[in-house]
Amino acid sequence: MTSAGSLLDRRLVFVAGKGGVGKSTVSTALALSAVRRGKRVLLVGLDFDDRGRSIAGLREPEGNEPVETTAGFFRQNVEGKAALEEYLHLVVPVRRVLRAVFESRVYQYFVAAAPGLKELMAIGKIWYEVDRGRWDLVIVDSPATGHALQYLRMPKAAYEAFTTGLVHREAKRVWSLLADPVATAVTVVTVAEELPVNETIDICRQVRDELVLPPGVLFVNRFHSPPFSVADVERASTARRKGVSAACDALSKAVLAAAEEELSWAALNEHCRKRLAVETGWRLVVLPMLLREEFGFADVEALSVMLDEAQAVRSKPRRVEPRS
Amino acid sequence: MRATLASVVERHDVIVCAGSGGVGKTTTAATIALWGARRGRRAAVLTIDPARRLADSLGVQLSGGEGTSVSAEVLREHGIELSGSLTAMMLDQKSAWDSLIERHAPSPEVRERILENRFYQHLSQSFAGSQEYMAVEELSRLRDSGRYDLIVVDTPPSRHALEFLEAPQRLSDFLDRRIVRWFVKPYVSAGWSAMRLVNRTAGFVLRTLEEATGVAVLTEISDFFAGMQGLFEGFAERTERVYHVLKSPKTAFVLVSSPEEEVLEEAEYLSDKMAALGMPLRAVVFNRVHEEFTAPIDRADFPRGDIRGGDQERVAACLTRSGLWPPGLVERLAANFVAYQDVARGDAMRLELFTAGLRRQVPIVRVPNFSTDLHDLGGLARLHPYLFDRSESR
Repeated sequence: MTSAGSLLDRRLVFVAGKGGVGKSTVSTALALSAVRRGKRVLLVGLDFDDRGRSIAGLREPEGNEPVETTAGFFRQNVEGKAALEEYLHLVVPVRRVLRAVFESRVYQYFVAAAPGLKELMAIGKIWYEVDRGRWDLVIVDSPATGHALQYLRMPKAAYEAFTTGLVHREAKRVWSLLADPVATAVTVVTVAEELPVNETIDICRQVRDELVLPPGVLFVNRFHSPPFSVADVERASTARRKGVSAACDALSKAVLAAAEEELSWAALNEHCRKRLAVETGWRLVVLPMLLREEFGFADVEALSVMLDEAQAVRSKPRRVEPRS
Repeated sequence: MRATLASVVERHDVIVCAGSGGVGKTTTAATIALWGARRGRRAAVLTIDPARRLADSLGVQLSGGEGTSVSAEVLREHGIELSGSLTAMMLDQKSAWDSLIERHAPSPEVRERILENRFYQHLSQSFAGSQEYMAVEELSRLRDSGRYDLIVVDTPPSRHALEFLEAPQRLSDFLDRRIVRWFVKPYVSAGWSAMRLVNRTAGFVLRTLEEATGVAVLTEISDFFAGMQGLFEGFAERTERVYHVLKSPKTAFVLVSSPEEEVLEEAEYLSDKMAALGMPLRAVVFNRVHEEFTAPIDRADFPRGDIRGGDQERVAACLTRSGLWPPGLVERLAANFVAYQDVARGDAMRLELFTAGLRRQVPIVRVPNFSTDLHDLGGLARLHPYLFDRSESR
């Protein structure tokens, strides 16, 4: 599987996962890694609301226009209702008609009532961004799990439900992109703890078996890898008990407690990592826990450098001229 | 007497655990319900989580609809004796809607037609706010049943915790809006031509939209509302009754959070909004708090008292002098120690800032970031001292 070996060579990478596991951090790190390879990247915040969420200190772009964060790295919010309006502008060219539509109360009602229309339009907008050739890679940072899968489910449901008409055609095109393993990968982010792991196994199963979408990588975030072994800490502990000097008694006790804490996280993480590997069958990429007073943009950059090294993410560095 | 989380739980019949996803809300809700049951109450915990975390926590199988009581034997295996009872239930959105339809449909034919209606299926499965609405509806039903004297609700994993408070109203507005009567009814009775006579713009707009998107929702919506007139005519009053439970003085909101920056931003927004909606916070639970490992520390070596990342060399030097451990190991242990100190310090500062910004004094509980799994019954019981014996008020 040559294409599977290089996540960043796809054109669309969808990032799913339960809340609070670091989806936005991983999405941003992936984007930075691709940018470093000379790619022009669009990071889409899917259906984030207008309050804006900070990703390690970076504010979300406001409105629905792409904002260039650093050279080659663009960010944009995509939201269903705005996408629908944009779409209607394309298909209903008469401005007077459109104004009447948008001003009508019936329009608000229609938008709320049409099953899956907003989700379909949001994912349609993403398709458009991938298709128009302005970006080498589009990364989609999605909202909490249930909702994210809803977006992925929509195109197929829509083209099956509406057998003719524009939505049918659009939905089918979007679905062909999503289901194409050369162009698209769905990745999942988790942490290696018991409850998130159960949910993640379920997400992975749904992506692969129910949605039948191309599985990308399962990122195991905040993984503890202590710089010492269980034996090291046991020896240190024994030495302390027999200790000759009382000079650092309290300090050495606290240092050992921190070491044991770290070992215990590492054991839990490792146990969960094994379960994830066995029960999902997905390729795992482990990202370390960074113990910081305040997690910041420098830490996201550090993670992105580690992604450069990860086999499953890696793509051959090549210069890609931005297409106009 | 200063309020504690214990006194808040004791004085209320309904505890709503609110907060963003991934902060341990489900575990906290189950822990509170178990504590109530240990104190002799007939406790129920209602989760809305499709990921079945609560079932994992309590070691029970949960299916939609009725609750499962946690058996005395399972409890005893974990060394827990209850003087009350503990029931767990999980909201199955789809079957809750179906049973609402079953209760209100005028005839079996109408019921069947509605259950197969595409708009209804959308409404009951994926409509924004539908899950939140049903959660509140279920809560109100449970409370009216009189079978429980403590109901703990774990709110849905929404994008924003606030959705739980606002979504029922939004759904109600949608279902009860006069617009339904205004444009659905003429269509139902006489079709397009009548509709266009009633409101030409509306007719035109709809035709444009249906042509542009190929989505013909109107027929399905009309059919749905026509069948369920009785239920949705009074939906606003229904929602009002349901909200009544949330606004009751016997209901307490407990904010569940973690010390991470983004989560705290969300929590701050939520607590402001709740106050504005007349549903003030009664307590805050911080999960996953890193605590400092500081034992009494030698003031001669560390005059500042606390130890930070920048003190790594000093820590290593001190340990090296003691001759306990080989230098290579000392370096690695010291690095790990100061990293943990940094995290703890960051957590403490973020929590202090958050607490200072609270509008009113409420009990605040900090639960350490346990590396051992606490999601079984025994684990929940081990959390009790942290939640109920240590709460500080401010």
